[in-house]
Amino acid sequence: MKKKINFKNFSIYFDQYLFISITLLSIMGLFFLYSASQEDLNTVIKQSIFVGFGLMLMFAVSQLDPDFYKMSSGLFLVVSIVLIFITILFGKEINGAKRWLDLGFFTLQTSEIVKIALPIFLASYLYNKPLPISPKHTFITLILISFIFFLVYRQPDLGTGLVVFMAGVYILFLAGLSWKFIFTSFGLIVLSLPFLWNNFLQPFQRQRILTFLDPSSDPYGSSWNITQSKIAIGSGGMSGKGFQEGSQAHLNFLPEAETDFIFAVIAEEFGFVGVCILLSIFFFILLRCLYLAFNARDRFCRLTIGGLSLVFASTLFINLGMVVGIIPVVGMPMPFISKGGSSLLSFYIAFGIIISMATHKKLMQK
Amino acid sequence: MINLEERVVEKKSFFKRLLIVYLFFALIFIFFLQRTYSLQVSEFNNYDLAALENKTKEVLVQPIRGIIYDRNGNILVNNVPSYDLIIKPWQISNIDNFIKEISLFIDLKQSEIDFVLENFKQKSRYNRELILKKDLTKVEIARFEVRSFKFPNAFIDERYSRKNKYPQLFSHAIGYVGGVSNDQLSTILEDQSLNQDETVFRYSNGFLIGKTGIENTYDKMLRGLFGKKIYEVDARGKLLRQTDFIQPINGDNLFTSLDLDSHKVAFEKMNNRRGAVVAIEIESGSIVTYLSTPSFSSNDISNGISSKAFNALLKDANKPFFDRAAQGRYSPASTIKPAIGLFGLDEGLIDWSFSIDDPGYFILPEDQRVYRGWRKGGHGNVNLNKAMIVSSNTFFFSLAYQSDIDDLIKHLSNFGFGRNVCIDCFNPDIGLLPNPEWKMNNLNFGWFKGDTVNLGVGQGYLSVTPLQLAYYASVIANKGSHKKLTLVENQVPKILENLPVKKIQNSDWEKMHSSMIGVIDDPQGTAKRLKDLKTYTVAAKSGTVELVSTETKEDYRIIRENEGNRDHAIIIAFGPMPEPKYAVSVIIENGESGGSVAGPVAIAVLNSLIKK
Repeated sequence: MKKKINFKNFSIYFDQYLFISITLLSIMGLFFLYSASQEDLNTVIKQSIFVGFGLMLMFAVSQLDPDFYKMSSGLFLVVSIVLIFITILFGKEINGAKRWLDLGFFTLQTSEIVKIALPIFLASYLYNKPLPISPKHTFITLILISFIFFLVYRQPDLGTGLVVFMAGVYILFLAGLSWKFIFTSFGLIVLSLPFLWNNFLQPFQRQRILTFLDPSSDPYGSSWNITQSKIAIGSGGMSGKGFQEGSQAHLNFLPEAETDFIFAVIAEEFGFVGVCILLSIFFFILLRCLYLAFNARDRFCRLTIGGLSLVFASTLFINLGMVVGIIPVVGMPMPFISKGGSSLLSFYIAFGIIISMATHKKLMQK
Repeated sequence: MINLEERVVEKKSFFKRLLIVYLFFALIFIFFLQRTYSLQVSEFNNYDLAALENKTKEVLVQPIRGIIYDRNGNILVNNVPSYDLIIKPWQISNIDNFIKEISLFIDLKQSEIDFVLENFKQKSRYNRELILKKDLTKVEIARFEVRSFKFPNAFIDERYSRKNKYPQLFSHAIGYVGGVSNDQLSTILEDQSLNQDETVFRYSNGFLIGKTGIENTYDKMLRGLFGKKIYEVDARGKLLRQTDFIQPINGDNLFTSLDLDSHKVAFEKMNNRRGAVVAIEIESGSIVTYLSTPSFSSNDISNGISSKAFNALLKDANKPFFDRAAQGRYSPASTIKPAIGLFGLDEGLIDWSFSIDDPGYFILPEDQRVYRGWRKGGHGNVNLNKAMIVSSNTFFFSLAYQSDIDDLIKHLSNFGFGRNVCIDCFNPDIGLLPNPEWKMNNLNFGWFKGDTVNLGVGQGYLSVTPLQLAYYASVIANKGSHKKLTLVENQVPKILENLPVKKIQNSDWEKMHSSMIGVIDDPQGTAKRLKDLKTYTVAAKSGTVELVSTETKEDYRIIRENEGNRDHAIIIAFGPMPEPKYAVSVIIENGESGGSVAGPVAIAVLNSLIKK
C-alpha cells in the first residue's frame, strides 16, 4: 500500500511494494555480482555501498512533494545539460568515449541524470496543454528532445542517447501527441533510414548492427560478445549450473560479465527457472508502476510515473534484448543488477520520484 | 489550465496510451522469454556442448614408435631415452636470475639460453613447459637432483631419440626419421580425427615421421596413436587443470626379414666401394640383405646433424644417400644370358645340343657391323652349356639375332625387368626394359636389329636395379615361379608370380642350373676363383658392364686410368644347390670383374646366410 504514514506532525511517504521488490532485486544483484566478478569482494562491497546509499536516496527523494519537482524541473534540466557540457569538455575518456565526470570519490555518468530530468521537465511543460498537443508544443518538445539526444549521442553513447530520446517521446505520447503526427512522422522516419545509416552512424555502430544481423560472419570479431553470451545463456539450461559454477563467466569467455552481460551470468548459473523468477520481480515492479500511474493525483504525476517507468522498462529490455541477441550491442546496464554507480543511483532516484508522485495526495482530488 | 471535462478525456487518453505502450512491452517480454526458452531449453544441448568446447583444451601426447627387429629377433632400431631439463615458465618470476642460478652448476650454451628467452613470455602466459637443456649427462642429472628442492619450477624428464643400433648397415633398407611438415601432420592427425594442437612430445625432436626405407613404408604402423591430455582452460587459453588423460598407444613393433649377420658381412666385404648387395630367401620372397654402399649414419640424420656435415654428405662424389640397391640403374651385362638362353629354349630357337662356332665376334648380316666377345679368338665350338660357362658373347648375339624383339621383351619382363618386383620397398626404380616404341619416343630412332643383338648380352639400353637382379636370380633358382619381394613378413600379402612357358621343362631348368654351377666349378668358368670360398655348390652368372666401348685391351688400359671409366663388376648367384635357399645379386661400380670382384662378396653373403 502506498500511503503516507502520519507521525503526529510529519508524514513519511512510502510504497512498501516497490521498496521491498527493489530492495530484493538489489540484494539479489549483489549476489549475482559476486559471482560475475569472480568472487571479488571489493567490487561487491563498493556496489553494496551504492545500494545502501541508493535506497536511502530513494527514500529521501520520495519525501519531497511533486510540486517541488514540477517547479524545479527546469532547473534540474539546465543543471543536467550543463553537466553534460562539462563532461564533453573535461570528462574522463575511457575507450574513446567521454561519458564520465570524475568527482574524486565517484565517477558520474552525466547522461544518467538527464534521463530522469528530461521526462520530468517535459511532464511539467506539457501537463497543462490541451489535447491533442498542438503542433507548436510538439515542435518545441521535439527540438528539446533532439538537442539532448544529440548531446548524449556525441559523447558518444548511443545506448543512453536512445533511452533519453525514448523518455522524451514517451512523455509526449502519453501527454496526447496527435495520432496524425505520429503516423506521418513514422512514415518519414522509415523513409529516412538509409540516410541515417549512411550519415549518422559511426562505422563501429554499423558493424555492430551488421554482425547482429549475421553473427556467424565473424565469431571472434565484433560478434564474439553475442556468441559467448548466447553460449552462456544456452548452456545454463533449465535449472542452471549453480551459483559460482558458470564456466563462461568464471573462465572469462563472457565479456563485460559484471555490467552489460550480467544477465548471461545469471542465466548460466540459475537457468531458465532463475531467469523467470528474476524477471517476475521486474514484471511486478512494472505492473505496480502501471497501477500507481492510474491512481496518481494529477496529470503531471501521471505523466512522470508513466514516463519514468517506461524509461526503466526500456533500459531493461534493451539490456535483455542485447544479451540474448535480439538487438545489436549498444551498451546498456541491467537496472539494479549491473555494476556501476551512476545507473544504479539514477534508478533509485527515479523510483523515489515515482513514489513521491504516487503517495502525495491532494485533498481536493477525486 | 484545462477544465474538468477535458481532464476526464485526458485521463482516459493517458490510460489508453500507457496501456498501449505496456502491451507493446508485454509483447517484447513474451518474445524475450520465448527466445530465452529456445536458447536454454530447446537448444540446450548445442550450447552446453559449445560451453564445454570453450573451456576444454586437448593436448596431444605423442606415442613412441615401434621397435624394428631383424628376422632373428635382433633389435635394429630402438628408442633411446635421454634426460632433458624442463622448466615451468609460469612459476618463474625472473628468468634471467633463474638462468644465472642454473648456470652455476649446469653448463648452458648460448643457443639454449636464447631459445628459452625467446619463448619464455609466451609459454609463461599459457602455462606451458619449455625445454632448457636436452640430453643431460649423468653428472648434470645428479647436480640438478641434489638441488631440485630449490627449483620447484624445473624438473628432469625422459625424452626419446630414435636410434638405429647399426646405423651404417641399414641406412637405406630401414631409412631414417625426421621432422614433419604441416601437411603431413594434418594427415597424420586426421587419421585419428584429431585437430592440430599442442603436443606433449616424447621425442626430443618433436614430431617424427619415417622419411625413407621401412621407417617410411611402415610409418603408419610404427607411429602408434596419439593420446590426449584434456585440460580446462580460460578464455585466453591458459591451462587451469587437467581433467582427463587418454594414454597414447605406442607404435607396433616391426619384424623385418632383414638378416643382421649377412648385412655385417656384406658391409665389411663391400668395404665402402660403390655398389649394392641384395639377397633373397627364395621360398618366401623375403629380402634378407639390402645394402647400398658407401653408407651414412641414419642416426645422424634422424637426430640432428650439423649442416656442415650434412652438406659434406650431400656433396660426397660417392653419393652415400643414393640407394643403389633399389634405385641404381645398371646394365645387367652377361648376367642376362641365362634369361636369353631360356628364351631360345622356350621358343625352340635352340636346344642343348645346338652349337655354333665362336670366332670371338659376331657380324650383323644387315650392315656387316662387328659385335665383339670378351675373348680375342673366341671360344671355338660352343653350345648353350659352354656358352654360359665361358660367357660366350657370340653365341648370345646370334641367338638374340634370331629372336623376335617383342617376344624377347615380354620374356624379360616376366623375370622382373622393367617393373617393380618389391611390394614394400621404398621408392624402387623400375629400371628400363627398352622396346621399339620406347626408342622411337625417346631417342627418335627406329629399332635396329643391332639393338636386339646387344640385348642378348645385356648391353645397350636395358638397365636394371640390384633388387631386380636378385629377383631374377631367384626366379631362375626357383625354376620360374617366385613370390614378389617383401621386407616385412605378415604385413603385406604374398604375391606368387609364375613364368609362362611354352617348351621349357624341368630338365631345362636343371641343365640351366648345372651350367650356372659350371660358371664357378668348371675350370673354364668365368667365376672359377670362387670355387674354394665355399663348402657347398653355388650357381652363378657373372657380368662385366662396359661403360666405355673399346676395341682392344690396350685401349681399355688407357681408359681405365680414369676410375670412373672402369667396368662395373656384377654377379648373380644362388645356392646351395641342388635346392637353393638364397639368391643374391652384387654390383660393384667400376669393380672391373664380375667373377673375381663382385663374386667373393656374393659368396660371403651366401656363406653367412647358409651357415644358419
